[in-house]
Amino acid sequence: MNRTSIGLAILALVAAACTGGSAAQITGDALEPITVEEFVAELEASTQPTVVNLWASWCIPCRSEAPLLVAAHAAFGDDVSFLGIATEDALSDSVAFIEEFGLTFENRADRVGAIRAHLSAIGMPVTVFVHPGGEILRTHHGVIDDAALALGIDDLLAEG
Amino acid sequence: MELTLLAAALTGVGGIWMTNKLLSPAVDRATDALIGAAAAGLIVGRLAAMVGAGVNPLTRPGDILILRGGVSTEFAALTALAVVGWIHRRQLPTALDHLAPAALAGLAGWHGGCLWRDACLGTVSDLPWAMTSTGTTITRHPVEIYAGLGMLLAALVVSRLIHRPWVAAGVGLAAAGAVRLATEPLRQSIVGGPTGWYWAGILVGVATALVGQRLTRTRPPGPSSIEMVPP
Repeated sequence: MNRTSIGLAILALVAAACTGGSAAQITGDALEPITVEEFVAELEASTQPTVVNLWASWCIPCRSEAPLLVAAHAAFGDDVSFLGIATEDALSDSVAFIEEFGLTFENRADRVGAIRAHLSAIGMPVTVFVHPGGEILRTHHGVIDDAALALGIDDLLAEG
Repeated sequence: MELTLLAAALTGVGGIWMTNKLLSPAVDRATDALIGAAAAGLIVGRLAAMVGAGVNPLTRPGDILILRGGVSTEFAALTALAVVGWIHRRQLPTALDHLAPAALAGLAGWHGGCLWRDACLGTVSDLPWAMTSTGTTITRHPVEIYAGLGMLLAALVVSRLIHRPWVAAGVGLAAAGAVRLATEPLRQSIVGGPTGWYWAGILVGVATALVGQRLTRTRPPGPSSIEMVPP
């Protein structure tokens, strides 16, 4: 039994080694810092629903949901704004993360985690669904899956 | 507290308990097979999820242990099945037939886990049992509850077929694919469900059940496959 498990794991590792990471699509040059006041003002001024995603390069679940957010932005980017907040993260690591996953939506940096505290968010990642004008519809704590993200966006668009 | 993880853990423990209860009287080394299948499934599923997310496990080996980062259910299930099949290769029909109802019940529990993560709902509906999602007045199909009930019903039906070699396993596989496929249009999704896998499950399951049914009819009365296995 042990040999079977080890053999399978080695096979999977070898297969994985043959696969490269995602190609970088944008650079992280635009990763500007953001304060709580700016964050609130941006959401209040927004005329579109917004999906806010708090992430960090050191957060492993953030890596698993990053491709989903890119797909959601590609599908709903015309009707919904997406805003990523690199939280309590080194700038160079955040930029590398953006390049690695090709995050196509706007990202800002909150190095002290003030926005996370403002949202009373638990753990990382956190995804917040926000109505136009800044009212929060729902906050999802932890890694978000396809169904939960699609449901949140559909609720925003249906109520918008 | 992440109740999702608690629900997943309880479902896992319940699934192993039920499978063990069904398998132990029928095949040798049932517990070993289940633990080995679960471990191998988790590892391969996690590796597949990492590769799928563009993360190279060789450059970030520590990430393999962070199951919360995602596990590919398709690869995990196939690997677990392959391990059980390999360990019980001399009693394969018996093992798979006894595994089928427990696997379906486990899937029912997995779908029911949506209650702990506020993710049961799908497309908009005006039906009397439609439910509202948090913070809205929009009513929607509780699609994951439908899927959970479908799996539970399939588990009950399949549990009555376990003494017909290959039939329970085939019907179970086809039923799981059919339940997922039938509920797919009611789900909210950005990337879309793996409908190809569901169709493959249905086709393989139906073919397996038909072959099993034919074998059952043509087999002369005699000792069962359990009794034929040498000690």
